[in-house]
Amino acid sequence: MKFLNLFALTSLFCAAPLAAKVKVVTTTEDLAALAAEVAGDSAEVTAIARGYQDPHFVEAKPSYLLKLKKAQLFIQVGLELETGWAPALLSSARNPGILPGRPGFMDASEGCEILGKPTGGVDRSLGDVHPLGNPHYWLNPENGRVIARAIAHRLSVMDPDNSGKYKANLAAFEERLSEKEKEWDASAAAFKGVKVVTYHNSWPSFARRFGLEVVDFVEPRPGIPPSPAHIHSLITRIRASGVRLLLVEPYFDLKLPEKVAAESGAALVVIPPSVGGEAGIKTYSGLFDRQLELLKNALGGK
Amino acid sequence: MRFFRALFAALLLTVPSALRAQPQLSGNALQSSNILNPNISAVGWLQGEAGRRKPVVEEAAAPFAVKEAEIAFQSVIDPYTRADVFVAVEGEGGIELEEGHLTWYSLPGGLSLKAGKFKGAFGKFNLTHRPETAFADRPLSHEAYLGEEGLASAGGGLSWHIPNPWLLVNLDAQAFVLPGADEVPAFGKAKRNDLLYIGRLGGYYDLTESANITLGGSCAFGAAGREFNPVTASSSTLSSRLYSLDLTYRWKNPRRAIYRSLFWQTELLWNRREITAGSYENTMGYFSHLEYQFARRWRAGGRYDWTRAPGDGTAHESGGLVYLTFMPSEFSRISLQGRQVDRSGGTKEKLGFLKLTFNIGPHGVHLF
Repeated sequence: MKFLNLFALTSLFCAAPLAAKVKVVTTTEDLAALAAEVAGDSAEVTAIARGYQDPHFVEAKPSYLLKLKKAQLFIQVGLELETGWAPALLSSARNPGILPGRPGFMDASEGCEILGKPTGGVDRSLGDVHPLGNPHYWLNPENGRVIARAIAHRLSVMDPDNSGKYKANLAAFEERLSEKEKEWDASAAAFKGVKVVTYHNSWPSFARRFGLEVVDFVEPRPGIPPSPAHIHSLITRIRASGVRLLLVEPYFDLKLPEKVAAESGAALVVIPPSVGGEAGIKTYSGLFDRQLELLKNALGGK
Repeated sequence: MRFFRALFAALLLTVPSALRAQPQLSGNALQSSNILNPNISAVGWLQGEAGRRKPVVEEAAAPFAVKEAEIAFQSVIDPYTRADVFVAVEGEGGIELEEGHLTWYSLPGGLSLKAGKFKGAFGKFNLTHRPETAFADRPLSHEAYLGEEGLASAGGGLSWHIPNPWLLVNLDAQAFVLPGADEVPAFGKAKRNDLLYIGRLGGYYDLTESANITLGGSCAFGAAGREFNPVTASSSTLSSRLYSLDLTYRWKNPRRAIYRSLFWQTELLWNRREITAGSYENTMGYFSHLEYQFARRWRAGGRYDWTRAPGDGTAHESGGLVYLTFMPSEFSRISLQGRQVDRSGGTKEKLGFLKLTFNIGPHGVHLF
């Protein structure tokens, strides 16, 4: 009898992890927001980098290993956005299930529309260029849709008992996104064709989706700080081209952009590129709501 | 020897279960030879030196020289193992295998196993490759106890993430072929098959979102040469124990990560060395290094050193190094450095350095 009791107790403990929520760890808050939309209450989703951090320069802190050790699904932006920190974390996490090639590893860029793939040779004379294409692709909501579908598929395979929930959550998310896209398109119609300069080359997907024209960058090459000569020619170009907006991510120092804006007449917009980039942005749709609101406000007085 | 037996037993117990648990490589994965090539990268180190070394060295350093090019080959071998090979090509023409090891990273229970030649988990500073340190030289205490190249040898070791939900605690246990006293002065080979045993317990904790601390304690046990007793016409092995405490504090605001940061690291070494059978000499040394990044491309730092030599409690050396470093990009740095050392003989040595380093290829990032 004692043996049977012990067996029952052991079975309960062993069964507990199966009933537990799927543990999902993402590199960014954007991916975490999409995963949370799809997973609902069936998964525990955490992000490593905060939305107000530059995702290129996240430190590979050992404390992140505590999250990764228990993760069942790891999702990264890919295209070498996290190359400075994610591979080091993965190889140190002692969790083989989430290593590249394993079922618990997911690269969200697969299936997405990727812009800015270099056509010629690539080397570091071009700056911190991404040879596989521009990794800021989540800033096109259609790519968000692709990512959500991929996450739903992956969760359904890993957790078939809840696959119905994942499908239903995905369908609800897609419906909400479609409604939102109609709103956003109406809102963006006011600034179609507006010329902008951005600090870093983070906005090609966003610009293409909402009709902005990116004319130049504050960085002469990705990741390379601007020289006085570059700033001088940028100011001249902004004046000559009729650039109306200067978009800067919140993690860059504003001293130089403020000078460029003041001397060129372009309106400076500090615009978050990620969920969590401002305290109030908590969802993927909320990110576009806020971005378009900022652009609309900046252009309102122009 | 007991350590190696335990290591072998652990390997027997853990590897087969890990192998069974892993999926097989797909056939498609084997088709692209480019994808399967190892990551190849190189770190170049060029250095200029001005001033006169005291005591005067026989062969004065060239005013400007290629110190080293460190070539790294890093790759996953199969679903269970990765390999890291670092070859140091020295400016004077020598080629040395700096590290070459296998790591079994798929073991259960938060374990990983390493075998080959690698840097011992003794303190924090020892793990950093020479071209990648902030300094043109090494801290006096590390040079005195662990040698110019640091503690690295052939051996094996287990590393264990001790499970707990609050902070990352890691325990390393390693055994190496004991290097000669000319390489690692804190120890001395008595027999060909002498081993060096190293253990380290380290913990990492996020104090705030911007600040974190790493605290570690290390120990190394090995031989310290042989003593011949002419009366009994027999010889015995002397022993040496080296202990270390390391503390690293980092601050970096993640909202402005590329512009400002602070780094402070201190390491204390304490050596108990058997001079003659049953008679011990206790000596110690330490360094403290502070670096502040005050602009996107600029860092300034300084280091204070104090040390005695292993087994010599009568004299000490102290000194300091200051530097200003410019980083045109993440992949290169130019550092102007000045160092003063008060030698044990009462002389003062003043040297100036220009350290240039560059990094080509996808050199692996290290956790800090």
